Amino acid sequence: MSGILLVAEHLRGTLNPISQELAGVAAQLKEAIGGPVCVAIIADEPELLADGMALDGIDEICLVRAPLSQFDGPAYAHAVQVLAEELQPRVILIGHTVNGMGYGPAVAARLGSGFASDVIEASASPAGIEAIRAGYANKVMTHLSFAGSSVVTLMIRGGGYKAPAPAQAVDRRAITVDFSPVAYLMSEHIGFTDPPQADVDINKANFILSVGRGIQDEKNIERFRKLADQLGATLGCSRPVADAGWLPKPHQVGLSGKTAANCSVYLALGISGAVQHLHGMKHIETIIAVNTDRSAPIYNVATHGVCMDLFEFADALEKQFS
Amino acid sequence: MQTRELFWQLSPLAVQIFYGLGVAAMIAFTVGLAIHIRKYRHGAAHHRPFDWRAGLRRMAADMLTHRTLARRDRFAGAAHRLIFYGFSTLFLGTAIVTVDYDIVRPLSGRTFWTGWFYLAFSLAMDIAGLALIVGLLMMMVRRAAFGLTKLSYIRDYCGDTTERPAARSWRIEDWVFLSSLLLIALSGFLQEAVRLIIESPPLGDLSPVGIALAKALTALGIDIQSATRIRELNWWLHGVLALTFVWSVAWSKGKHIVAALGSLTVRDPQNVNRLPPALIEQPVGVSVVDEFSWRDLLHLDACTKCGRCHDACPARASGYPLSPRDFILDLRRHAEDRSDQARAASLLDIIPASTLWACRSCGACAEICPVGIEHPVKIVKMRRALVEQGEMDPVLRGVLETIADSGNSFGESARKRGSWTKDLAFPVKDARKEPVEALWFVGDFASFDPRSQSVSRTVAALLKAAGLDFGLLYDGERNAGNDIRRVGEEGLYESLSEQNIQQINQSNFDWVFTTDPHSFNTLKNEYPDMGRSMTVRHYSSVLADMLEDGRLTVKKPLARRVTLHDPCHLGRFNGEYDAPRRVLRAIGCEIVEMPRCRDNSFCCGAGGGRIWTPDPPGTEKPAHSRMHEAAALGGIDTFVTCCPKDLTMFEDARKTSGHEDSFAVTDLAELVAEAVDLKALDPAEIPKLLDRITDAVAQRVADRIIPDLVARLNSALPAPTALPAGPAMLDAPAEIALEAPTNPILARGDSDWQITPLRPAHISPYDKPDKDTFRILVAVKHVAKLSDDFRFSDDGRDVSAEDVEFQLNEWDETALEEAVQLIEKMGSGEVIVVTIGPDDAETSIRKALAKGAHRAVRLWQDKGTAPSDPFTVASLLAGVAIAEEADLIFTGVQSSDFANGAAAAATAAILGWAHAAVAVSVTRDSSTHLTIERELEGGLRHASRMPFPAVLSIQAGANTPRYATMRMIKEARSKPLTVASDITFTSRETAATITTMVAPAVGQAAMIEGTPADIASTVATLIREKKGL
Repeated sequence: MSGILLVAEHLRGTLNPISQELAGVAAQLKEAIGGPVCVAIIADEPELLADGMALDGIDEICLVRAPLSQFDGPAYAHAVQVLAEELQPRVILIGHTVNGMGYGPAVAARLGSGFASDVIEASASPAGIEAIRAGYANKVMTHLSFAGSSVVTLMIRGGGYKAPAPAQAVDRRAITVDFSPVAYLMSEHIGFTDPPQADVDINKANFILSVGRGIQDEKNIERFRKLADQLGATLGCSRPVADAGWLPKPHQVGLSGKTAANCSVYLALGISGAVQHLHGMKHIETIIAVNTDRSAPIYNVATHGVCMDLFEFADALEKQFS
Repeated sequence: MQTRELFWQLSPLAVQIFYGLGVAAMIAFTVGLAIHIRKYRHGAAHHRPFDWRAGLRRMAADMLTHRTLARRDRFAGAAHRLIFYGFSTLFLGTAIVTVDYDIVRPLSGRTFWTGWFYLAFSLAMDIAGLALIVGLLMMMVRRAAFGLTKLSYIRDYCGDTTERPAARSWRIEDWVFLSSLLLIALSGFLQEAVRLIIESPPLGDLSPVGIALAKALTALGIDIQSATRIRELNWWLHGVLALTFVWSVAWSKGKHIVAALGSLTVRDPQNVNRLPPALIEQPVGVSVVDEFSWRDLLHLDACTKCGRCHDACPARASGYPLSPRDFILDLRRHAEDRSDQARAASLLDIIPASTLWACRSCGACAEICPVGIEHPVKIVKMRRALVEQGEMDPVLRGVLETIADSGNSFGESARKRGSWTKDLAFPVKDARKEPVEALWFVGDFASFDPRSQSVSRTVAALLKAAGLDFGLLYDGERNAGNDIRRVGEEGLYESLSEQNIQQINQSNFDWVFTTDPHSFNTLKNEYPDMGRSMTVRHYSSVLADMLEDGRLTVKKPLARRVTLHDPCHLGRFNGEYDAPRRVLRAIGCEIVEMPRCRDNSFCCGAGGGRIWTPDPPGTEKPAHSRMHEAAALGGIDTFVTCCPKDLTMFEDARKTSGHEDSFAVTDLAELVAEAVDLKALDPAEIPKLLDRITDAVAQRVADRIIPDLVARLNSALPAPTALPAGPAMLDAPAEIALEAPTNPILARGDSDWQITPLRPAHISPYDKPDKDTFRILVAVKHVAKLSDDFRFSDDGRDVSAEDVEFQLNEWDETALEEAVQLIEKMGSGEVIVVTIGPDDAETSIRKALAKGAHRAVRLWQDKGTAPSDPFTVASLLAGVAIAEEADLIFTGVQSSDFANGAAAAATAAILGWAHAAVAVSVTRDSSTHLTIERELEGGLRHASRMPFPAVLSIQAGANTPRYATMRMIKEARSKPLTVASDITFTSRETAATITTMVAPAVGQAAMIEGTPADIASTVATLIREKKGL
């Protein structure tokens, strides 16, 4: 038993970037626990995706042909179980994504492996595998160990690891998995519906530029909307701005507005940080607060602070992105 | 003896016709009255007994003085006085003539309508007629030329630009009413004038107006002959008009003559400050017309469309779709339709929900109504029905659920209610533990909002300086319930007030005070109905007394020009206008009153739950209008508030309405603190203060450093050898012994790689019905909510249990709703909620039962059932699924505390069932298959057809979970809940072991310094680095 098995994720013929991030996790773990690092690609035509997984640190790409036009939880769980029994890895890496949640825990249950999901950081040392994940709504960091498990299934949160560089040539192996034992559990694909375009969605936004009453006037909204567009940010706002009708309600972050649930960078411009606003954003990993009042409560939750005039800041930042 | 003949030269037939018409008119009037009374009798009972005698006395005084009519519109007051006294005198005159002619004369053959009495009568009638005409003309001019908003029926606040058909009929009615009265009066004078021309009685019957008119007619060439002709025709005109008026009283604007007197008699001066209770035996709220009380229905008829409420309403003035006047008129039109169809129709077809939610319960409409209509009470009654159906803004609904869970609108832990006192230089007593003179009921905003907390500390310091012995209820206090009651959530109000009263009853005090006028109102006026009366004071009056009797001494009088905002709940609701002004005068401020002050104070917009409801686009916040009003006074330094909600609303509004530089918004107590120079600390307090500061710093340092230290120590120690997988793992993660087990990496090539699939936990048979229908299990979690300033437990592997509160997981509510809707669509079936947790978890289970589940199972045994480990959860759920022979299991996508997102797939794997995660819609399309949609990243949806039995995790937002009213929560208490506590795990049941738990590395922001370009470059790099893909 040895090595790491990571499972590539793909959608509609394209690899999900989490797959390459998993390779980054594997590369780090490999230093402590050794290889080989095997990537499993489970698809109807897995060879089409193999090039994207030829990365530094990957030792082998396992191509599993599956009778699936799209993702299916039980089929994936079955295939990974079969692969695990074949490869006997120490660690199985799966993305903590919607599809990942659809089979990762099932893999762990089928194997009775150690298990942690939404892992922010995975490491290995002579003491064993350790995973760090959040707890109590991101208020604490929990360090986990996996006693007595010969294999640990880790589901990794996206965005925390870098993809390794592409590698010249990586061995490929076709592995045949018999899906008939789980045929009765499998779903029949019907189709995809793309989300409606354009509407602002604070819940889903990854990068939010939010404005507060520090922008002083409705006329200045356009100025910051332009900046947000240029930065590729979603435009958010605090309650007074939405209340004044300067921006429509869906832009509002906070208790009476939206929670920035999937945000990783939050740029707060002219927001003092009323409790009700903090409700919607204080959990975000990187918060950059720009305000003229150094004692504004927003600095208590912000990771980075800037104390300067908003408009001057906006002009300077704009230059960085032009 | 001078008199005049009544039926002059009329044939007996004509007299008989006239009497016939007269009797018919009186019958019509009586029948009309009876029909209205019957309508009122269809209404519900009134909730409170009346003091009829006092009511009649007050009505008579209101009527005779026209006190209510002249307020804020002296012109209309004067005109109505002329009309009222003119009309009443003429009515009395007609009655006197009737008594003389139809009663005294036939009975005694004598008459008293002669001589000087007749002349005086004639003079009085002449003057009354003139008064009536002048009054009517004033009203007509006012209506036609003054351009008053209150008399316009165009609903520009609803975006209408034209008059609705109903509004047109109201306008026509107004004019017909005035014109017909005028015509009656004019034709009366014409009749008198022609009689004077014909008869030339001595002294001209002492009728100056008649004589003047007669002279004018003569000058116009009317001789006796034409006068006789006019007299014949005009007599009929006048008579028929007058009788028609009597006939139509019950069906026209004229009905206010009767209904307004009734309404004034039954007026409840406390109406909106003491709402009617929701009685168990009655339907919740009002959703059809006859559920209104008879008083409500009487109010509808009393309305004269004077529009004072329309003028006063802050919602209307700010563009919200509510006019109290139109609300009443629309309801009246509906109430007049007595068809079965109309009586069964939903009132929401008449009054849209958006109108009901626009109300701030500020009471301005009811306060100014000259005839005692209580608009807000009716609005609250209708809101109760909306709340019962869960029909409300999602944000408001969320706040109500938060209050139901945590007891305050901030969703904070009750333990933190007293946290604001920590920064004080002195301890504040717990009134439940030691007697105090005054109990301070703090309220939510003053306890939790940082800006208001600072005011609370100022108030505390002032009271301390004045030597008042006061205490708090600390974690025993809940939201007072005033605004929740006005939202219409009567059940929640009852539960909050019962809790507060129970805590108050445990305390020993002489009187209660609060800085919050909302709490002040409900404690003072509504808690007596809940069984607790007490003396309740507002801090403004406490401070005023202290300043006046010298307990607080002004050291530096503030030479400020200030204006004061009267809080609705203090002033209009409770008549306290003077106390804050006394305070301001005592500290040397010059008070400049805003045009809308005292009883006419303009609501900040926060009342009636509006502070928790987002404002629709296209509306101006009432608080903005108030800021413009204050700014227009010119030269004001300070806008003074004495209500925590006002402070919040106006501080926001000052900045967003462009008056940031015009004046400051300051709480009354802050000005007092400045004037009494509170900042100069009492030297005696300094040592204590230092102690407290050192303690606090030490505590914080310890909290931050110790867990980290423990972690470092742990990692520095040599790792213990491996523990065998075995009994040790039966412990829940948080309960494992200090020494954390580890799994050292085995040497490459070891052959003991093995797998042991998880198996369901065995749950000993428990009490449950036999399976005879489709069963959906919904796993619900009693999730932990950690307070912001938490500590870690001694072993460093969890947080301190004291810093955690629990509530029903939000995702699970969606899963439950999805299951309930699926069963509802199928027409039969059972939804069983399953939770893993101790006794305390039952609050979440009961909530789930209130939200539609049929039955509940709680799993718990002292060891090994920790609900935060995904394997524990999955093994237990699988065990219950087998015991219950379930067809489907729904879970939330994740729990808000640990967010493993693992229960669904892991449970399915154990059971060998189909599974899917993050479903947003589920329909059962056959006896073997479901059609589901999953929501992938970025909102992409994936539809598929999956077999069942199956386990699905349901995404939050997939539906809107129904609102569990307090009534539903009470009813859920009788639904079956079984506790299964004999559980055996048959395989590994923990996925991982917690070695340490530490605080994430966040805290004070790292300040980025440098030139603007440097700063921007650093920020740009940060953004590029940290932005996800």
